[in-house]
Amino acid sequence: MTITLYINGNEKILDCQPGDMLTEVLRKAGYVEVKKGCDTANCGACTVLIEDKPILSCSYLAVRADGKRITTIQGVAEEAKEFARFLTAEGADQCGFCAPGFALTVLSMKRELRNPSEAEIRHYLSGNLCRCSGYEGQIRAIKKYLEAVHD
Amino acid sequence: MEIREYARPKSMDQAMHLICEEHGTAIGGSAWLRTSTKTVMLGVDLCDLGLEYIREFQDHIEIGAMTTYRELETSPLLDSRFGKIFRTTVSHIVGVQLRNIITVGGTVAGRYGFSDLNTTLCAIGARVVFYPNVEKDLSSFIEKGYASPFLIEKIILPSSARAAYQQMRISESDFPIINTAVAWTGTVWRIAVGSRPAATRICRNAMKILGDSANPSDEQIEAAAAETSKETQFGSDIRASANYRQKILPVLVKRALLEVRG
Amino acid sequence: MIDNNDPIKPMDSETLKATQKFNVVAHDIAKIDGEGLVLGRPAFADDLAPANALYVKLVRSPHAFARITSIDPSEALALPGVACVLTWKDCPRVPITRAGQGNPEPSPHDRFILDEYVRYVGDEVAVVAAEDEVTAEKAAMLVKVQYEVLQPILDFEKALDNPIIIHPEPEIHEMFPIGFEPKRNIAAAYNMEIGNVEQELANSPVYVETTVHTQAQQHVALESHTAFSYIDIHGRLVIVTSTQNPWHTRRLLALALQMPIRQIRIIKPRIGGGFGGKQHIHIEPYVAMVTMKTGRSARLALTRREVFEATFTRHEMRVKVRLGANSDGKLNAIDMQVLSNTGAYGEHALTVFMVAGSKTLPLYNKVNAVRFGGHVVYTNKVSAGAFRGYGAIQGLTGLESAMDELAHKIGIDPLELRRKNMIHEGETSDVFRIMGEGTEGVAMTIESCKLEECIARGKELIGWDPNRLVWDVAPGKVRAMGMAIAMQGSGLPLIDMGSARIEFQDGGFFKLHIGATDLGTGSDTILAQIAAEELGVDVENIIVYSSDTDNTPFDVGAYASSTTYVSGSAVIKAARSLKKKLIEAVAQKFEVDPAFVLFDNKTFKTLNGGKSLSLYDFSFDTLYHDGERMKTLEATESFTGAKSPPPYLAGFVEIELDKETGKVEVVHYVSVADVGTPINPRLATIQIEGAALQGIGLALYEDVRYSERGHMLSHNLLTYAIPSREDIGKITVELVDSYEPSGPFGAKSAGEIGIDAPPAAIGNAIRNAIGVRLTEYPFTPERVLMAIDRAKAEGAN
Repeated sequence: MTITLYINGNEKILDCQPGDMLTEVLRKAGYVEVKKGCDTANCGACTVLIEDKPILSCSYLAVRADGKRITTIQGVAEEAKEFARFLTAEGADQCGFCAPGFALTVLSMKRELRNPSEAEIRHYLSGNLCRCSGYEGQIRAIKKYLEAVHD
Repeated sequence: MEIREYARPKSMDQAMHLICEEHGTAIGGSAWLRTSTKTVMLGVDLCDLGLEYIREFQDHIEIGAMTTYRELETSPLLDSRFGKIFRTTVSHIVGVQLRNIITVGGTVAGRYGFSDLNTTLCAIGARVVFYPNVEKDLSSFIEKGYASPFLIEKIILPSSARAAYQQMRISESDFPIINTAVAWTGTVWRIAVGSRPAATRICRNAMKILGDSANPSDEQIEAAAAETSKETQFGSDIRASANYRQKILPVLVKRALLEVRG
Repeated sequence: MIDNNDPIKPMDSETLKATQKFNVVAHDIAKIDGEGLVLGRPAFADDLAPANALYVKLVRSPHAFARITSIDPSEALALPGVACVLTWKDCPRVPITRAGQGNPEPSPHDRFILDEYVRYVGDEVAVVAAEDEVTAEKAAMLVKVQYEVLQPILDFEKALDNPIIIHPEPEIHEMFPIGFEPKRNIAAAYNMEIGNVEQELANSPVYVETTVHTQAQQHVALESHTAFSYIDIHGRLVIVTSTQNPWHTRRLLALALQMPIRQIRIIKPRIGGGFGGKQHIHIEPYVAMVTMKTGRSARLALTRREVFEATFTRHEMRVKVRLGANSDGKLNAIDMQVLSNTGAYGEHALTVFMVAGSKTLPLYNKVNAVRFGGHVVYTNKVSAGAFRGYGAIQGLTGLESAMDELAHKIGIDPLELRRKNMIHEGETSDVFRIMGEGTEGVAMTIESCKLEECIARGKELIGWDPNRLVWDVAPGKVRAMGMAIAMQGSGLPLIDMGSARIEFQDGGFFKLHIGATDLGTGSDTILAQIAAEELGVDVENIIVYSSDTDNTPFDVGAYASSTTYVSGSAVIKAARSLKKKLIEAVAQKFEVDPAFVLFDNKTFKTLNGGKSLSLYDFSFDTLYHDGERMKTLEATESFTGAKSPPPYLAGFVEIELDKETGKVEVVHYVSVADVGTPINPRLATIQIEGAALQGIGLALYEDVRYSERGHMLSHNLLTYAIPSREDIGKITVELVDSYEPSGPFGAKSAGEIGIDAPPAAIGNAIRNAIGVRLTEYPFTPERVLMAIDRAKAEGAN
């Protein structure tokens, strides 16, 4: 069937099967920043924003997204680049596989939470697994980033 | 999962027709589709039925079946009526992105053993409403099921309750080894235990021990907690043995009861 | 001023501290690929696969041990869009090892790409390729396979001399003696003794015996194993793959496919983590076979379940440690006996097993006698292979657990016991000489060892008080502390070789071509820093290209913590050679002796300042303006370590233990490490933080579980839980001041050391908390509660 998705502000008319999940449809359409890490909705690497809400694209039917606004990390590239500066300053951008989904969730958290404590940051991001960094560097980067953008 | 045909009905009647007469499969929260290898002939998406709501009425609260976990945990209404229990119940579940997808109706319909939410809902005394207008006690539904096919419209909660939730997991984002929720509804105590690994059940004998006072004694609490293990059946699985579950349930129930009683 | 003719000269620590003034090295330079990765620019193999590549799917064995009696692909082939179905009959019958190791490999050649026998649930049976993924999946299910099901061996304690023989094939062999006895289900074996251990143990006033059982562990690199292949315009086979060892993959694949090595090109793109899981040949043979058969490009990305079930795990081990000591705590003898489970195939069997001793026992070098031995056995479980720590984590878990038991028995502060016995700068251990990673080792005097400083600082950071190692925090809840020390290595001496080529470009920048493989660790950046430091330019002027067997010089790959020490040393040598050539060329233009030319980051000048030429201008001169004297200025150099200087680490943990449920939580984990000069301190810190969490995962959360019939029960992230963000309180990592004279700008390594200490430290903390030592990992709440109950029962008796 044919669906219309508004991806990063662009109208995209795409073919898909009714049972296709959004991750595969997005990757096939060239949005390779949406990653597949686990197959079981655990890792968060496939995170996108649907109507501004962070959602696992691997567990969301593409057909259900018909007509909806979808944002990948490329859709918020300027904000992402700014956060990336803080992440790389900590050295916490390791293999980078978790990074797009993780960064998108951080940006989403920035909008949803005011002045989150470290516990709240950890909690909001608990659905973004990282096997490389041990999480500490990411937390350092996020704290510094939130301080900088809220000044 | 393979879905041969996809429909997105705009009314409950239409949805009911597709599910009953056309043998459609309801798609609520879509999280399980990823791991399923089933072939569904007709997928009936419930997302346009207007079932995402948390509404307060005179003497009860209604939660639409498509309400997400995220909406539950961030609802000021539920916070004020039930304390932090919805937050503590669902906040261990993977992450925000998943909780923006999984729904109350999906969890209830699945009667999943590992469910945290079902345990808390049963403790509070939730009732489930099947469209059109068949209302059942949630814990009965979980224990006994319901003639299929069915379509869950909403969950009904009392206006308020004092409740607490306890659980044991190996790691924070893992499935629970066991969970329990207790509630003082204003007139009775309710104790529910889930993830045994089997699905939630009510601990009726233990509840009787607590009586109908908001302030049971320490001895009553100890006795009730101990009773929950005696009257509950446990199983072993990859995460823990039946023996372990049996041992720690009273510990968790006691903690929950003390939390509610104060 | 460093003499360009001399090799890297050793200096004593004080001189080093005085001369240490780095411009680029030891600075926190941001990774060069950081922004691109965060933005998700196409970089991983699955992002880059050609649009019309065939999708490959593997048919896998449902049995733990079986012989394939027939494969009928006809129904699969009849499906429209299916390009081919390949079975063991389509492969040359050449046994290889899939271990990513140098030639001759210390792992037995006991694996055929596809075989008549399948030896674990998930073992590859057939290769299917189709136009799209759904068709490939369907076709894989339509391949009809008949098996003669055989009785498997699932318990590694029962494998040795079991009448069931997992590897009866006549063609398999070892490359050199490693104790390979497949008829006894032994993949490898080794033993050594220095002095007389039994006598020393018998004569010691204090004796301790501790046995630990560490479980298999999954790497869970977030990117699954991925590769694609195609035939290029020259008719050569090109494979772009998520690998840690391009050259080993190329060589072993050539052997397996019976092709000349020159006909194959391996390219490593960005990879999403490895941790040793990609230090093997994994799926490259399958995409290669499809491409060779069809002429089409082929792609394969393993599902997460396939990664769990059918790649590699850590070696499960039983480690028994016996210690003999005097009543003041002085160690007299150590005996370590290991049984290691290598699963269905022997990749890394000998070497991981030996590292359990070779990179642990030297910590206590003042013993009179030391012994190490054991076997590595086959079982019908998924193959075990390389995994960060590589035996040291298992061996250390046994050794440091036994040391704490000794401390308890004697009644001495565990820190004091370590201090009394541990190795220091200027010392050596006979174990270095005797035990290597393929039997013999390399003697080594330790030129940098800051264990004292690590322990002192760690003690401060955690708040260690030997009189208060356990205390109550609430009814039924206690907090407790534990610690462990660790060592690892920096590359494999005289075995690992890395090379670097640096070429001067117009615009005044430098191409740095290295074989070294960046797994996400930032080695591209670190090696650029080293080049920049040595050349005397800014790091922005170094453009890195790495890990392409056609275009970059040889490197063994990223493992054994070799990249900084080995590949980094090659980079320094190349930079030094090139700088010499640049100075010589400019000296010629200046018409002076090279000794009179200086370079200050941007400009060449004569000593008296009479002549000057910018690097930028010179780059155009040498490539466009200088007539006959035009040339490409470049240098290629190689390095092999004469030694493998160990990094050292002290790990401390504070746990909270709920005595009513057995739940253990890590409140604070402290790692203080001596990595020599950290070329990039932030990146080194992150390595150690990430490694610590993996070690904590092994201690508390992760377990590879099988059913009674050998099916993996923990085959996805629902059933195998890696630590999440909320599972630990805090990890603190600090690096102490250190300088390794033999290392590039004083560096050793940081990649593995962080993983080694947590399992022992946590085991020791729990021991302090409840008075009982748990020895079966992981320490789930159930196991802890059972131990508490046991202690109560024993106490009551």
